[in-house]
Amino acid sequence: MKQKSWHLDRRQFIRGGGASLMLPLLNGMSWGKGQTAGKDMPKRMLVSYIAYGVYMPNGGAGIPNPNKPHHDWSWWPTNKPGELTFNKSTAPFAPFKDNVSYLCGLDHAGGWGLGGHSSGDVFGTGADMVNTQKTNSISIDQVAANRHGHKTRFSSMVLGTEGGTGSYGSTKTLSHRGPGKPIPSLHRPQDIFSRLFNPYGNKPIEDIRAGLKREASILDLLLEDSKSLKGRLGKEDQLKMDEYLESIRSLEQRVERTSQWTHKPLPNVDTKGLNIEVSHKDPQEYIRCMYDLIYLAFQTDSTRYASLMLESEQSNASEMWNYANYVLGYKGATHDIAHKRPKDYSGQWDKWRAEQHAYFLKRLRDTPEGDGNMLDRTLVLWGSAHPHASHSTRNYPIQIAGGNKLGFKHGKMHMFTGDKKVPLANLFVSMLNAVDTPVKSFADSTGAMTELTG
Amino acid sequence: MPFTSQTIRCRQLGFLAASLWAAATTNIVADIPPGQAGFQSKVQPFLKDHCFRCHGADKDKGGLTLHEIKGVGGSDEEMTLWEDILIMIEDGDMPPDDEPQPNAKERDAVTAWIEQSIKDAAQKAKQQAAKDGGAGKDKALARRLTNIEYQNTVNDLLGLEIDLIKNLPEDPVKHYRFNNSAKFMRLGPEQIDRYLENARKALASAIVEGERPEVIKKRQAWPSDPAPDAKDRKGEFLKKNIPRSHIGVHGNGRNTAAAGVNLTKFPKQGPFKVSFQASAVLKKGATEVPLHWVMGQGIQENTSTRLIKPLGTTILTSEKPQVFEFTGNIENYPALRGRSNKGRKLPDTISITPINIYDDGTVKNDTSFFKTTNASFPQARVDWVEFEGPVYETWPPESHKRILFASPLRKSNPDAYVKEVLTQFMTRAYRRPATENEVERFFKIYQLVEPEMPSFEAAMRETLAMVLISPQFLIHTVPKKGITNNEYALASRLSYFLWATMPDDELLSLAANGKLSNPNTLRKQVERMIDDERFGDFIHNFTMQWMNIDKTLTVPINRKRFPNFLYDISHGSRKGTEVPYRPTIRDHMIEETVGYIRECFKHNSTVTKLVDSDVAYLNQPLAVHYGVEGVKTHEHQLVKLKPDHNLGGLLTHGSVLIGNGTGTVPHPIYRAVWLREAILGEKVAEPPSGIPDVSESAEGEDLEKALTIKDILKKHRDKRTGACYDCHARLDPWGIPFEHYNAVGQYQPKVPKKGLKVKTFNIGKSKEPQEFKDMQGYLNYLAKINTEPLDATAKLPNGPVVNNMKELKVYILENKVDDVANNVARRLLTYGLGRKLDFKDRPAIDALLAESEKNQYKLRDMLTAICTSELFRQ
Repeated sequence: MKQKSWHLDRRQFIRGGGASLMLPLLNGMSWGKGQTAGKDMPKRMLVSYIAYGVYMPNGGAGIPNPNKPHHDWSWWPTNKPGELTFNKSTAPFAPFKDNVSYLCGLDHAGGWGLGGHSSGDVFGTGADMVNTQKTNSISIDQVAANRHGHKTRFSSMVLGTEGGTGSYGSTKTLSHRGPGKPIPSLHRPQDIFSRLFNPYGNKPIEDIRAGLKREASILDLLLEDSKSLKGRLGKEDQLKMDEYLESIRSLEQRVERTSQWTHKPLPNVDTKGLNIEVSHKDPQEYIRCMYDLIYLAFQTDSTRYASLMLESEQSNASEMWNYANYVLGYKGATHDIAHKRPKDYSGQWDKWRAEQHAYFLKRLRDTPEGDGNMLDRTLVLWGSAHPHASHSTRNYPIQIAGGNKLGFKHGKMHMFTGDKKVPLANLFVSMLNAVDTPVKSFADSTGAMTELTG
Repeated sequence: MPFTSQTIRCRQLGFLAASLWAAATTNIVADIPPGQAGFQSKVQPFLKDHCFRCHGADKDKGGLTLHEIKGVGGSDEEMTLWEDILIMIEDGDMPPDDEPQPNAKERDAVTAWIEQSIKDAAQKAKQQAAKDGGAGKDKALARRLTNIEYQNTVNDLLGLEIDLIKNLPEDPVKHYRFNNSAKFMRLGPEQIDRYLENARKALASAIVEGERPEVIKKRQAWPSDPAPDAKDRKGEFLKKNIPRSHIGVHGNGRNTAAAGVNLTKFPKQGPFKVSFQASAVLKKGATEVPLHWVMGQGIQENTSTRLIKPLGTTILTSEKPQVFEFTGNIENYPALRGRSNKGRKLPDTISITPINIYDDGTVKNDTSFFKTTNASFPQARVDWVEFEGPVYETWPPESHKRILFASPLRKSNPDAYVKEVLTQFMTRAYRRPATENEVERFFKIYQLVEPEMPSFEAAMRETLAMVLISPQFLIHTVPKKGITNNEYALASRLSYFLWATMPDDELLSLAANGKLSNPNTLRKQVERMIDDERFGDFIHNFTMQWMNIDKTLTVPINRKRFPNFLYDISHGSRKGTEVPYRPTIRDHMIEETVGYIRECFKHNSTVTKLVDSDVAYLNQPLAVHYGVEGVKTHEHQLVKLKPDHNLGGLLTHGSVLIGNGTGTVPHPIYRAVWLREAILGEKVAEPPSGIPDVSESAEGEDLEKALTIKDILKKHRDKRTGACYDCHARLDPWGIPFEHYNAVGQYQPKVPKKGLKVKTFNIGKSKEPQEFKDMQGYLNYLAKINTEPLDATAKLPNGPVVNNMKELKVYILENKVDDVANNVARRLLTYGLGRKLDFKDRPAIDALLAESEKNQYKLRDMLTAICTSELFRQ
């Protein structure tokens, strides 16, 4: 990677709101250990999610019918396995034919038993929240981050459009550290930007370091204080206190890592055209800004693993509820677009989503890197945990893009239907292995997905 | 099966269940031997006859099977299942009314047996807990402060009023459930990170340094003559006839009072004061002009990124000029960041803007850009506005002196002084005396921090910030053996329940003296707390979560069908979107619901008032919207209703009807779920996966074009083969009597003929007939085409046929009051205890309800009884 972008230059930075605070703002991003990236080229991954399913005429069970003519406005580009062709809805991806694959018939068995609007919870984890585990578990991005997160300033980056964690059955984040530990997503572009690229405000680095040293000692004392309390509590309450102690310990570890990273200069970023003050009420600007921030984080190698909850299910108390309204002038809730499927709107809605996602793919592909481009070294998962208007939780709409230099082959529609059905987690196994995180299994996987990598 | 006999039996059952709680149960139990013997001889055969066919080895309807249940004395899960069975049988919900029914005697015997079994299990659990060293040991008691509790507590502790919530991740939301439970509120590193940011921010406001800051003042005045530039390109302008000092319902032009004041110099923190001289210009029979003030990034350019916050609303009643005053903290108001212009940064600005929000229902009739009606409406005259800040009454401010109090120790023995400051601060922050060890540890933190800080104040701020992220502060209601007594935990539990904040000095001092748990004292304290202003925070929190009405504010309203419901921006690039700075009818509806429930508690109304009532809590715009005459005030007030208003009780509140509609048509399913969850206290399962949507199963009927969903729903339900039938047969009938209330919460029993294309209101392209020339004409047109009576008739599950909302309410009042009371009591307890109730709580709750029933389930008394109950005190 070119070293040019690593010199220290803060003049262009827009100052974030809380810049005078001492402890670096860590929310949603964990700091890696202070080691050099080494000579290996970064291998990255983004998991992104759209809610309420997609438009799929003649696709009752989430699988387009190969025996009927393919609908112009279906979310699926084609209804037949093999070579990709593109319809109206997927037209924005036509220029990326060699970079995308569509995977039909995949899902997480762990999400089958969740209610129609709750299966988004397990999109990134494949956990069985109903029967066996009863809680969510570690997400794919965090598995990779645990292994390689120390190589970058932030081990991962967790974004969403609504922010926070949400709760059981209506998550606002795709990422989980482990059972019962959702990572709150960040949703304010300004926040994300200053946390990423201006974490120290405008303070001299020596002050930051001295401050961090002090923080560590203080956290030690807090830990001691809390431990003394814990012994006096009932069993259930001790668990609560454990949660607290663990949080403090993890802050302490991050302070340590942060301190090590202060020896590395912050990357210089080109903020031209980046409107971080944009609000939800400009959905296109806003979504693109979120994509831009991920692009910048990848490009500066600030992190290699990101998740982005583009839309959350059950967003009826937030602006997201009105998204389709702002975008298409549709006079109903965004959720109802999914259910009512008025042809003009649903197709347009999917196309709009495709345009935004294609924008991100284009930014990656237009950025040369090594003997290829950034997209070649970035795996981008895009999909939903509902096939279509029904409350079904099987056969997700799934698109995987990029990673051509990580062993992924593209340009095809794959149908994992009938006796060819395999768990979505098989794709996760392949993705993890492709980013040098060797795993034999993930959630309910039965192997790797050789169709894409073989 | 004829429904009449059903109804009668149901009623008797309800009566039995209610009156036999305490005394008579033993007689019936005699029919079935208690415990395992009774299970084998009588209860299992009963289940086999009536339940196993749908909930057994072959079928598991609703995901429930009963054939493997072994008896009583098993696990907690098993007892919980028994409680569910009891509720189903007792309420007459199961078996469903198209199945053979057990006879009443059999049914009563079985419910009594279950009831007794639960009692026995609860008793056993209690004894076990006592043996283990204290009741409640098995329960999670430690509760993280919710976001609103956190903000209130920090502000009360420091004597501030600053907004801290916006920096915190949202509390989890689960519909119809409360977010203050120990289980629900998790803690993670990210959360603590934000707490620390907030703590530093708050302490920076509370503890000051240096000299008293210079006061920045800005005053702006407007003459009461017409503006000289009151012309536009057409030679005519909206502010025609309106003097510059006057603000019309459509505003006014540039350089007038309506444009407000722009501050380019203002303090970064501290309290400020906005004063102004204003009077009312009363017209059209109005008795007042509500003048709403917002402050922040300004409303003039309607770009979406701008942010504003309300400052307050002044009700102008006099034509004589009067001086008014608002105070606030400048930190809470977003400034517009200055743009860079050729390398020079323009200053940040904060705007203060007054808006005349008078609306008698006709304000929106004039939709033209050049409002010609401005002069005919009541106006607010604002002669001048003055901003002043920071205005500290004393220097250093009270918040500072409270923490860093004056003491000779400060000079003579600085270390002792710091320890004393810490002891006092931590004792208040922890809501119980801080121990010496605890103080000692924070003193060590102070010693670490002190050498690196520029001043003593800065070191104290940093040390105290650490107190505010300690678990003793963030987690409340933990009784600590060896540290403190149960009294302090009770004080906290009480004040987080009824005030959503920390206990005040009176509660803490009673706790210190060990007097709070005395039943008489406790009752007096609860009465005092209910009468306190802070009780409003409880009502608001509790109601919003209980009623699940948040979503009402975001349901997208179909502007074509309801053209005068929203306040829209009439011109510019954001034309047709809602104005962001004006309280809307939806806001008034939320206040209608929250305020109504507050009044019910304050006035000790019976629980039936939640279902039906002859008073409503309305203000002028809302009353006009509902068609209630004679309400002239902007403030909500209790209004006497007439029968033909078709209002009364929560069921007809706009907040409920809009939130549970689609913005275009009513939604009987949403409304049914709301009624069963929020009012009747039933749990309604989520739609299972793999269920086709309503419109799909209705063979291509387009929901978008349908005038009601009811018919489509019928098709959905009538497919008796599908999974739809089982749930919807028990769900839909509860929602159908709501059909006479449209998607914006108005009583509308008639709709246009099926297939009639409703013309839209589009004043800009006025090739429409004469009747569309203004809003009133269009509204007349709408009224004219509504010719077809809507059918709101439904056969209630295990109940009679009801033809409309009135009959539904009568049915509930005659048959379901016990359920409603049980629901309210359980919700109050769940919220108050911060945990899910289980079968072990049942005997105590039943006793509480039996007592409350004698008193007609009066709400305030019920709340007091709950707070003084053993369940709450232990």
